[in-house]
Amino acid sequence: MAAIIVILCIPAVMAVNILFFEDRSYYATSFIIIALSLVPFALVFEGRKPQARELVVIAVMVAVAVVGRAAFFMLPQFKPVVAIVIIAGAALGAESGFAVGALTGFVSNFIFGQGPWTPWQMFAFGIIGFLAGLIFYRLAASIGAPSRDGSGAEGVVAYKWYDTGRLGWNVRARKRVEWLRVFVLCVFGGVITFVVYGLLLDTAAAIMFSSGDVTLSQLLTTYLTGAPFNMVHAAATVFFLAVLARTMIEKLERVKKKYGLLGAEA
Amino acid sequence: MIGHISENRSIFAGYHPLVNYMWFAYVILLPVFFMHPVIVAISFVPALAHSIYLGRRRAARFGLCFVLPLMVIAALFNPAFNHRGITILYYINYNPITLEAVIYGIVAAGMIGGVVFWFVCYNSIMTSDKFIYLFGRIVPAMSMVISMALRFVPRYRAQIKRIIAARRGIGFDVSSGKFIERVRSGGAILSVMLTWALENGIETGDSMLSRGYGLPGRTAYSNYRFDSRDRTLVLLLAALMSVALFVCVTGLISVVYYPMFVMESVSPFAGIAYVCHGAVCLLPLALELREDAIWNMALHGCGACAGRQEGVPCLK
Repeated sequence: MAAIIVILCIPAVMAVNILFFEDRSYYATSFIIIALSLVPFALVFEGRKPQARELVVIAVMVAVAVVGRAAFFMLPQFKPVVAIVIIAGAALGAESGFAVGALTGFVSNFIFGQGPWTPWQMFAFGIIGFLAGLIFYRLAASIGAPSRDGSGAEGVVAYKWYDTGRLGWNVRARKRVEWLRVFVLCVFGGVITFVVYGLLLDTAAAIMFSSGDVTLSQLLTTYLTGAPFNMVHAAATVFFLAVLARTMIEKLERVKKKYGLLGAEA
Repeated sequence: MIGHISENRSIFAGYHPLVNYMWFAYVILLPVFFMHPVIVAISFVPALAHSIYLGRRRAARFGLCFVLPLMVIAALFNPAFNHRGITILYYINYNPITLEAVIYGIVAAGMIGGVVFWFVCYNSIMTSDKFIYLFGRIVPAMSMVISMALRFVPRYRAQIKRIIAARRGIGFDVSSGKFIERVRSGGAILSVMLTWALENGIETGDSMLSRGYGLPGRTAYSNYRFDSRDRTLVLLLAALMSVALFVCVTGLISVVYYPMFVMESVSPFAGIAYVCHGAVCLLPLALELREDAIWNMALHGCGACAGRQEGVPCLK
């Protein structure tokens, strides 16, 4: 319901812009639309009335991502934030993934400086966490799935994609499946960093530079000049996912299981 | 210690967060929405002045090294790519450079520079606790996460230092060894930190629960009180803002960039709008300067001198 109101708000903002400001300020309009697009996620999150434990786990992931961004301040673009957001989404689900991503963008800018880029970053990080949750929390349960090790086709849905427990003591099979999953996560991370984060933030930059009166050639130029930076960012995401994904997801799983968080089966 | 106190003392930051927020929303958004050259120019100067007042030399250096090049690029970016407009100045590679695009680029650069400087002020005045105070009731869970995460960040940094020291003690120094070993060591540090953070976090969560977090009727601690000083400033700002907004929205001042630059900017109404807009932009800075004068007066009996820092002699 509230989400519908927000979705109706977006054309309303455009209409106001066209009527009163002769459709010149794409800059302000895009800013407001991107800020509004955060609202439905926030409403869903608030509407669920999350438990204290759940909030703390999200805050922990946000803080870890912020510390990660701060720790690598001297290397431009080479940041672990997207990797940590993807891990959070994969282990905690789409909604929590969005919350971790968006709030990381917001909180880290208390250190790096808020600006017109803040809502863009929040949305980009948030949607990456959301997609990671959507794909890896439930849907991709079949990656490297059963049957091969004789546990039979018990139905792929029964498997969480990270849950290798059912492979039993077949260590080699477990290792293989785990690494396959990390590999899939890395590919996802690299592509999504380049495409979603890169393009969103480059669009924001193009709109900011031309302050609204953006042309197609301006956009393409910005994408082209931004491409090397986005490549570095994507490489960083792949690197950090390769290093961190297995242990971090394992730890989040452990905490979820131990304390029965987020509807994890005890 | 005088210098130390006056560094951190901002009278406008001492007003209620609502006043701060209302002012920032106006000064940042109006020139963005309404890119009228005069409005943009009127915003830019106070933005620059205020950010330099708050940030001193650092802000000035930031402006010179970062914002100025940004503005130059923005001013050049537009005419280079945008060939709309009817007044052609000259051709570069068969592409017309139009006067309209040049003007738009310059105004846009002024607007961007102004926004960046306003955000410099925003970052120094709108601290996270104010934001949480303002939005804590609208998005309680999110602002809870924000305030917890802000507290965790310095804690984790301290914990990472401790973990590094402990690992060095048992022979796993991150700063030595092959690259792969160091990466592994870094991963191990993060892994230890995460386990600690999660366990610690769950404990925090349980502690919150046992103290009644989320129960109905709980109030939030607040450091802010809306007093008569805030009320006066809000009323004054609201009056000035609504006059300026009224003139802008009703088209009493207007500007069209393409196909030809036409600006409606000289009229009694326009003059009133400029004065009101300028007053809104300058008011907090004026409050700061007045406060400084009163402070210096009390210390030296000289309101104008620069003797804010200890040891700097009064000019009088």
